[in-house]
Amino acid sequence: MNDRGMLFRFCLMGFLMLSVSTVLGVRLAMLHLGPHEARLEQIERMHRFKQDLLGRRGTIVDGSGTTSLLALDMAADHVVADPQVVLEADALIPTASRLAELLDLEVDAVAVKLHQPGRRYTRISMFVPRELSRAISEENLTGVFMRPAHLRYYPHGALACHVLGFVNHEGVGSAGVEQHYDRYLRGRPGVIQGRLDALRREIYTERVVADPGDPGHKIELTIDQHIQLVVERELDALLSSSRSKAAWAIVQDIRTGEILAMASRPAYDLNDFRHSTADQRLNRAIGVNFEPGSSLKPAAFAAALNEGIVTPETVFHAENGSWLYKGRPLRDVSAQGYLTVTEGLQRSSNILTAKMSLMLGNDRLYQYFRDFGLGQPLGIDLPGEEAGIFHPPERWYGISPTRIPIGQGIATTALQLLTVQSTIANDGYRMRPYVVRRILTADGEVVMENQPSVVARVIRSDTAATMRELLHQSTLDFGTGRRAVFAGMKVAGKTGTAQKPGPGGYSNTDYIASFAGFFPADDPVIAMVIVADEPRPVTGGGRVAAPVFAAIGEEVSRYLGLYGDRSSSRMQMVQSSQDVSGR
Amino acid sequence: MRRVDTLLRFATTSLILVGLVILYSTSSARGSDPHFFLKRQLTWLLLFGVPSFYFVSVLDYRIWRRLCWPMLLVSALLLALVLIPGIGIRVKGSARWLGFGPFRIQPSEFAKIAIIAGMAAYMSRYGRQGGQFLKGLVYPIAGLGIFAVLLVLEPDYGATLIIGVIGVAIMFAGGTRIAYLVVLMVSGLGAFGTLILQNPNRLGRVKAFLFPELYPDQAYHLTQSLYAFYLGGVTGGGLGNSMQKRFYLPEAHTDFIFAIIAEELGLLASSAVLLLFVLYFVCGMLISFRAPDSFGRLLGFGITLMVGLQAVVNIAVVTGLAPTKGLALPFISYGGSNLISSLILTGILISISKASVPNGDLSSLAKAKDRLRYC
Repeated sequence: MNDRGMLFRFCLMGFLMLSVSTVLGVRLAMLHLGPHEARLEQIERMHRFKQDLLGRRGTIVDGSGTTSLLALDMAADHVVADPQVVLEADALIPTASRLAELLDLEVDAVAVKLHQPGRRYTRISMFVPRELSRAISEENLTGVFMRPAHLRYYPHGALACHVLGFVNHEGVGSAGVEQHYDRYLRGRPGVIQGRLDALRREIYTERVVADPGDPGHKIELTIDQHIQLVVERELDALLSSSRSKAAWAIVQDIRTGEILAMASRPAYDLNDFRHSTADQRLNRAIGVNFEPGSSLKPAAFAAALNEGIVTPETVFHAENGSWLYKGRPLRDVSAQGYLTVTEGLQRSSNILTAKMSLMLGNDRLYQYFRDFGLGQPLGIDLPGEEAGIFHPPERWYGISPTRIPIGQGIATTALQLLTVQSTIANDGYRMRPYVVRRILTADGEVVMENQPSVVARVIRSDTAATMRELLHQSTLDFGTGRRAVFAGMKVAGKTGTAQKPGPGGYSNTDYIASFAGFFPADDPVIAMVIVADEPRPVTGGGRVAAPVFAAIGEEVSRYLGLYGDRSSSRMQMVQSSQDVSGR
Repeated sequence: MRRVDTLLRFATTSLILVGLVILYSTSSARGSDPHFFLKRQLTWLLLFGVPSFYFVSVLDYRIWRRLCWPMLLVSALLLALVLIPGIGIRVKGSARWLGFGPFRIQPSEFAKIAIIAGMAAYMSRYGRQGGQFLKGLVYPIAGLGIFAVLLVLEPDYGATLIIGVIGVAIMFAGGTRIAYLVVLMVSGLGAFGTLILQNPNRLGRVKAFLFPELYPDQAYHLTQSLYAFYLGGVTGGGLGNSMQKRFYLPEAHTDFIFAIIAEELGLLASSAVLLLFVLYFVCGMLISFRAPDSFGRLLGFGITLMVGLQAVVNIAVVTGLAPTKGLALPFISYGGSNLISSLILTGILISISKASVPNGDLSSLAKAKDRLRYC
């Protein structure tokens, strides 16, 4: 081996290495300059992430001035699991039993959910309150994760359930105000965009978009939770004492049309709406058509008086309790001879009402009833309002003109029955009923406000005053509504006891008992309707519904300060505070 | 000689500085202490690396001719020690480290020095008999084989390959008959192939290298590494802005650190680093060829090739031209043992350079060129 040979071998190695280096240099240039935009975009997409933030739903507060929370979003989590991870960790049994214990579930059910080889996702429990989900997180169970969510929570459970409604699991309002005002309540979801490291953790310094979203609007109801509570309590008492199948009631401020309470039985717990039945969810106050019977008579009386066909002193002969019209007998409960119009309403004479209505004529009767809002939805801001059933005269039968005025062959909702009373109470002005007073942003800015609005002028003021006196009379002495009177208050109203129609004619055992009225009779503030479905064995509206009216009326009057000097009353304060807020 | 000297120092210093900067950038994305890796690397560099570099560079390189034998013995013992469970530290299935208090060293890095010195000493003495079968081939191969076996047992295939190739290259430069080496290379490749085929893990790596689309899991390292180059472009995404270092690219601070240089500083920096290694290699080759004796020549040649080969293989792996293996990028990758051994090797090169003919400049190379012209 000489120097020359060595030099040759050195140079050969050097040449080899330098060639390889050249190849590497070319490779570097190719890699750096090579990729297309599309490829780069694909790589960068791998780094990026976008996360939608839940929009916080607006709250719902009551209209009592204390603005108590009736519905709100609470932080919660869905407890979910990756069955494959759990199974690979061989932790099926301990995980299932621990989760079952913490979440109060059946161990077997949890184990079945976790034992799904190959599945990467399963829900264990949804909407778990944050306190509990945090406790579960601290257990550090392998393969168990939390997904943040908002739990819609109703602090009072079933209170005003039919008005409030609920939000389904997709976050969409599905009944009541939650449904009707969903677009206001729903928040605008936020979004976070940024970049992730390979462990899928966000790199906070690389955050590009951080939009927290907007919370939904706050809704202030007209519903007063105190009145609502009283109404619901009395309805429950009614249900158990009268053994009714169902019962419902509405309390309204006649001057504005605001609904102060609306309740329906059976009811359900809003926080557990999944386990409710359709029967429980039905808002009967607006969603059930029924033949009201005598409680509709004031509409006919008001029409006849307004048209000047009769005066309160006009005398009719009541045919001693049985009158044949077009070959069909019409009966009164108590046989009477001559009666004034006042007495006819007081004793709820079917025959007098029918004779009077015949004098009015079909077309005028129909027109007045329509003006009172019968046979059409009243436009309350709640889903599921029924229109009632009230056909035009062309479709009436021969005896219809004598039956419709006494509340047969016509179906109404409780809200329509109430509206007849509140129209009379409000000097003949029919107001649009509503349950939401106003909608505010999270900052308190008013977005929408329901103004009291007159829908129709049905009767003149003097007619309305006469009607108020007549209706007051029917709660006195021998009046059918005497049980609606409560201490120290002049009450006006009308009972109704209607046989329920069924296959083969009217039932002799199934009745709907009702009472609709207002108070104070001489200067009305509150109108109220009470309906009981199939009370047994006592069936009369005077015995079943009127006492409930009295019980609620008394508490409401005391709460609103309707006794005596009303200048310092709570109602006035509520009213004036509304005036300030720009009515 | 001064100029070559200076250039070599410049290349080394530049590489170390680039390494520190990128290591800081890379390791800042990891762990709770963003300075953790930087602090440790600086500790190794200043406490051991730089002092041993200067110490070795003032030492006469001829001392290694005698020192190499005890060094080989100690290295072999340490490599054997690593294999004993309880003494060697096992990371990701490989027992490569020994612990001393807070520090861990990798004996294979120091075995590299011993083997280069040993092979150079042996071949400078018996190189003239390189044509003989026993002295030219069997003895040196047997010596290399002992270390290869120890390294395969760890296992550390990257180091095995490097030490094997360097050893054979010194034999080649030292005068072993080329026909022997061809036979040796063929059988070596055969053995290597068998090793790969035996182990599904290694086979998977090779397959993933050949068909990355078909083996996305095994090719993950490689794919992520290539993404870094794509993202880097000409000028890079800016120092500290690498996304791939955020756990997309495993070993971003060690074996794949070059990809981060490429992503953050682009083609300009990655090609500059490659050129610095070429500069190092050229300087090393010049220094070793002008060494006053054949021991110095072979020693310098082995050292230059060792650093150059590690760099070339590492860059080839990172750019997807070679299958993945655990090889560090000298001076740049995180790791104290490799840094220190690379600095010691560079120090030896400097000391060879000092011993070469004074005022020689490039004359001896010119002479060599003249001689080459005649053959």
